[in-house]
Amino acid sequence: MSFLQSIKNTVRSRSIHVSYVNVGSCNGCDIEVLAMLAPRYDIEQYGIYVHNNPREADILLVTGAFTPQWEDKLKSIWDKIPEPKAAIAIGNCPISGCVFNRRGSFVDPPVAKHIPIAAEVPGCPPRPTEILNAVLSLAPVVFKDYEEKQQ
Amino acid sequence: MKKTVDVSLPIGPLHPCFKEPARIRCETKGERVISAEMDLGYVKKGIERIMRGRPWQEVMFLAERVCGICSVIHNMVCIETLEKLSGIDVPERAAYLRVIVNELDRIQSHLLANFSYCYTIEHETLSMYLLNLRETAMDMLELITGARVTCAYMVPGGVRFDLRDEDRLTLEEALDHMEKELDRYVGMFKNGPLIAQRSKGVGIISRDDVIEAHGVGPVARASGIPESDRRLEHPTYRKLGFTPLSYEDGDNYARIMIRFDEVYQSIGLIRRCLENMVPGPIRGGGTVTAGEATHAGEAPRGELTYYVKTDEYGRIIDIAIRTPSIMNIESCAHYMLEGVSSAADITSTFISADPCIACAER
Amino acid sequence: MGTSITYYLQEMLRGEWLRKFLFVKTAPYETPPHFRDYPRLTGKECNRCLNCMMICPTPGAIEVLKTEEGWNPVIYPGHCIRCGLCVEACPEGVLMSGRILESQFYENTGYSYTFHLTVDTTRCMRCGNCSVACPINKEEDPQLAAGGTGANDEVIMRVKGGELQILHEEKCTGCKTCEETCPNSAIRVARVIEAIHVAEEEG
Repeated sequence: MSFLQSIKNTVRSRSIHVSYVNVGSCNGCDIEVLAMLAPRYDIEQYGIYVHNNPREADILLVTGAFTPQWEDKLKSIWDKIPEPKAAIAIGNCPISGCVFNRRGSFVDPPVAKHIPIAAEVPGCPPRPTEILNAVLSLAPVVFKDYEEKQQ
Repeated sequence: MKKTVDVSLPIGPLHPCFKEPARIRCETKGERVISAEMDLGYVKKGIERIMRGRPWQEVMFLAERVCGICSVIHNMVCIETLEKLSGIDVPERAAYLRVIVNELDRIQSHLLANFSYCYTIEHETLSMYLLNLRETAMDMLELITGARVTCAYMVPGGVRFDLRDEDRLTLEEALDHMEKELDRYVGMFKNGPLIAQRSKGVGIISRDDVIEAHGVGPVARASGIPESDRRLEHPTYRKLGFTPLSYEDGDNYARIMIRFDEVYQSIGLIRRCLENMVPGPIRGGGTVTAGEATHAGEAPRGELTYYVKTDEYGRIIDIAIRTPSIMNIESCAHYMLEGVSSAADITSTFISADPCIACAER
Repeated sequence: MGTSITYYLQEMLRGEWLRKFLFVKTAPYETPPHFRDYPRLTGKECNRCLNCMMICPTPGAIEVLKTEEGWNPVIYPGHCIRCGLCVEACPEGVLMSGRILESQFYENTGYSYTFHLTVDTTRCMRCGNCSVACPINKEEDPQLAAGGTGANDEVIMRVKGGELQILHEEKCTGCKTCEETCPNSAIRVARVIEAIHVAEEEG
């Protein structure tokens, strides 16, 4: 492993920027992502910083069953995130459509049809600790030795 | 020569201050907003369509998932409509338990709204305090119902779980803790000079404008319409001697303060429920039959109305939901945002109306 | 003042304090025992009444499957919304989740069910898929032919004379299998559920 790579690994392990996008959820998962910000869970000690700018993000949290309005928009948001990047599906809706996936509704799950999903957190909604665990366990898999894996 | 440029300023659908996708198109002159329009439709799922032909045990969960923040009131109003049309009576203890859970949900929703506002005006300390206080309310919801967000607590003719005696003590302790902490945070909000500058006199909506825009909930009560509270017509709240609060100013500051005051009021209501509650059955039984009814309840954001028509086996034939957010978004876009003097105040004014896009679009 | 500075210096230069200050993380917040998590098996024997499948509000969240140990319900995370209705509905206590079983025991709460089959004759194509798929029909008359015709009168429904007849509505367990196999949404199971105190029913 090169010296540069090890520096990058160290920095990336303590700096995970998270962006979230709601593609038709009921808000339940969104507020659990927000609750993750609370001092009780204290995500900033792990170096996770939640904000809503895809251009600065490393990890995209997708909530919600896929609604037709997002056909082109989700792809363009995904393209705006700089490499290395990963997407996590939060809740049942992006995984299976949950209660909305029925005859007559407008949703088009799963989200994995539209952008590559690296991890899934089931639950309706998942607890903040479950989301936190998913982010923390996915980050080293994606970001460690990223440049060496590319070669 | 001074030149004024008209700019169309789009905000959204993905914006750091929004938790949900929505788009505001503002026509601005310099930085002053002349007019604003909302673009909705990003999270339309068609819940009312898939509710049709389903019995209550499925509709209840779909109704909860209309909105994740105020899921308890959606559950409550949906079930109360079904009870109204089929004539089911609720045992007294169950009625009090419903009010307790509903008020806990109101506390967490109001604290979340005030958190969002403080976060938008960049007062991160206060917002984090409020978010941490909200976790206490969430814990109590979890203690009683077993889930944090989508509780699924009420069923026709009663509630699902009883409140145990040891949990009652925990709940009382948590209420004392919340009241004590909230005193500190409200003091911070009232006495912060910068908060007052960002909030007082910004986004004013007058009483007449609220009536014209059909504003409901905290938006209406902050502009001096206390009678807009639908809890006045609920039998259990009447028994508890509920009186709504109101502010006169109609600006951002009043909208945040009315939410703080309602949190105090909710704590008082829960205490009164706990005093009045006597042991007894929590489920009265009764099946949903054919009928047609309209029922309204007070969601944290305002009046929520369900119209339900069922067939002989209790399956939904027709359902229509009217959520409070669409009226508040209307009054926000057309009245509050008009004349707002900077782009930073657009987002904070929008958040102070506490719009819930998932509610509005379903 | 001087003493307090030395006190704090002594306190903060301890190796343990420094290590805690720099490296210790807050303990991960534990899931409380009253949280309704995904239903787990208690080890009791499942008698395959399919009440859990009947009451489940989510499509494809629970299935009763046969394994080496016999019939057992299987929960699919990603579909299950953790509502806990299956735990309450199970008469044998096969599933558990949070404190639901415990509070059900103390509060004597439960559900009572009746089922009704309704057929929309304008949509029904008399294909007989429902009669063949129905798990009760399979037990009553294993010879029920494709097309749903048969001579056995004990089945719930069958196709006779070019018409779908409902013979024994009271045998229905409300499992929704017929609804799912119907190509034209003609047959519907009305599951009328009542939330009750079980003790009151018995006494």
